[in-house]
Amino acid sequence: MLQGRVALVTGGRGGIGRAICARFLHEGATVYAADLSDHGSMEAGAGDAGRFIRMDVTSEAEIRAAMETVAGDSGRLDILVNAAGIELEHTIEHTSLDDWNRIFAINVTGTFLAAKHALPLLRKASAGGSTASIINFGSYDGFIADPGLAAYCATKGAVHALTRAMACDHGPEGIRVNAICPGYVDTPMLRGFFSGAGSGAGGGTLGDVLDKVREVHPTRSCGTPEDVANLVNWLASDEARYASGQLWVLDGGLTAQVQQMKF
Amino acid sequence: MTALAGKAAIVTGGGRGIGRAVTEALRAAGADLTICGRGARPEDLPAEILWVQGDVSRADDAARICAEARAEFGPVSILVNNAGIQIEKTVTETTDDDWDRLIGANCRGVFNMCRAFIPQVPETGGSIVNLGSVSGEVADPSMAIYNASKGFVHALTRSIAVDHGPRIRCNAVRPGWIMTDMAEAGFALAHDPERARADAIARHPAGRLGAPQDVAGAILWLVSDAAGFVTGQSFTIDGGLTSASPLQPRLF
Repeated sequence: MLQGRVALVTGGRGGIGRAICARFLHEGATVYAADLSDHGSMEAGAGDAGRFIRMDVTSEAEIRAAMETVAGDSGRLDILVNAAGIELEHTIEHTSLDDWNRIFAINVTGTFLAAKHALPLLRKASAGGSTASIINFGSYDGFIADPGLAAYCATKGAVHALTRAMACDHGPEGIRVNAICPGYVDTPMLRGFFSGAGSGAGGGTLGDVLDKVREVHPTRSCGTPEDVANLVNWLASDEARYASGQLWVLDGGLTAQVQQMKF
Repeated sequence: MTALAGKAAIVTGGGRGIGRAVTEALRAAGADLTICGRGARPEDLPAEILWVQGDVSRADDAARICAEARAEFGPVSILVNNAGIQIEKTVTETTDDDWDRLIGANCRGVFNMCRAFIPQVPETGGSIVNLGSVSGEVADPSMAIYNASKGFVHALTRSIAVDHGPRIRCNAVRPGWIMTDMAEAGFALAHDPERARADAIARHPAGRLGAPQDVAGAILWLVSDAAGFVTGQSFTIDGGLTSASPLQPRLF
């Protein structure tokens, strides 16, 4: 589906980013996996889909350098996926200004900077007749709150608004902008969350907690990174050429329902 | 309070539950009240409130309710469409009779009342408040056509605001868990009623369940001149329930 396309995925060595890189490669794209290290949050040697580019999304200089590499080697960029992101488990009262600035720097400013410096390359792709596409990472937490994740929720709401704004501004240039809003996706980040403050009040092993998490979903399952990659792949492809400015919730139906009381 | 002095209001299903709290709030604000229901006049209803026995799912009854209110109090400028029923079934369990009863009351009833009410509203303007539900936006399980009927109410609210402004303002409220006799009966059926109640409360950022007066307070504001620039909106009144994720690991 993406034969001949050039894609850059930030957070490309994380749980979801890696699955996206692998899928893009499978679909025939040239893939740049931008991340802090070549293995990211995965174990070393867990896989190396796509060409690794060292890029810290909080560094404008590193983003410029990464785009120059893409420009020099591929001459254009068809697809930018802003998958880099972190979470922060605190209420605002216990969030330091440094922590607040850091999560915004990665989740929001990182999305802004990567898109800003990718635009000239995306325009080259769209001028060549391809539909260029940016895919940001929002979250269902941008719509409703999880307790103790205040700054994270705020960053995702910002990404949602930025997504619509960029779609309006750059649609006329042939650049589509969408956001994916995942729910519970089984990644190292989610498992870390359930090993920490997010674990159930009843205690229990990680496996017990994950079983209960699945039970709350209408699909009775958590998502996998591959589920997210499926939607990203579609949004990046020409099949989605009329899709722009939208927030695509991918959560197994979780947020279609009211909280279920225990009877 | 005299915010609604000299204004006539109709509250459908105003005899009990949320409707009764709305009736009392509007009356305390000085409005002349007409309320209706399918049964006989509630014995504890104050004498100055007009009771019309009628079924809002029937167009003739809806027209008669409006006509009797107008004959008693003059032009009616406030309508609160509160009457509604719940049926706890999935789509495949729902019978034709269930559909006729629920859609009749919750959808056709609201439509019938609005159609009868709007033409007689005085030039000075009027206000409609419909009772939607958080279930019209996110699903309660095994409440399929109830959830759908409230989605209808939210959409009809916007259409009436668009089509019949500026003379008519039309808004909806979307209650969450409001403790009425119907909800109390639900807790009584739980395996452990006290534990069920504690769990339900823990899911509400407000730290309690709703009371009919919580909904009545919002409706009183919406029909008053203080909300004169508010139309076409649906306001969630749920103690924060639907602002939180449906998945709460701390309550596992």
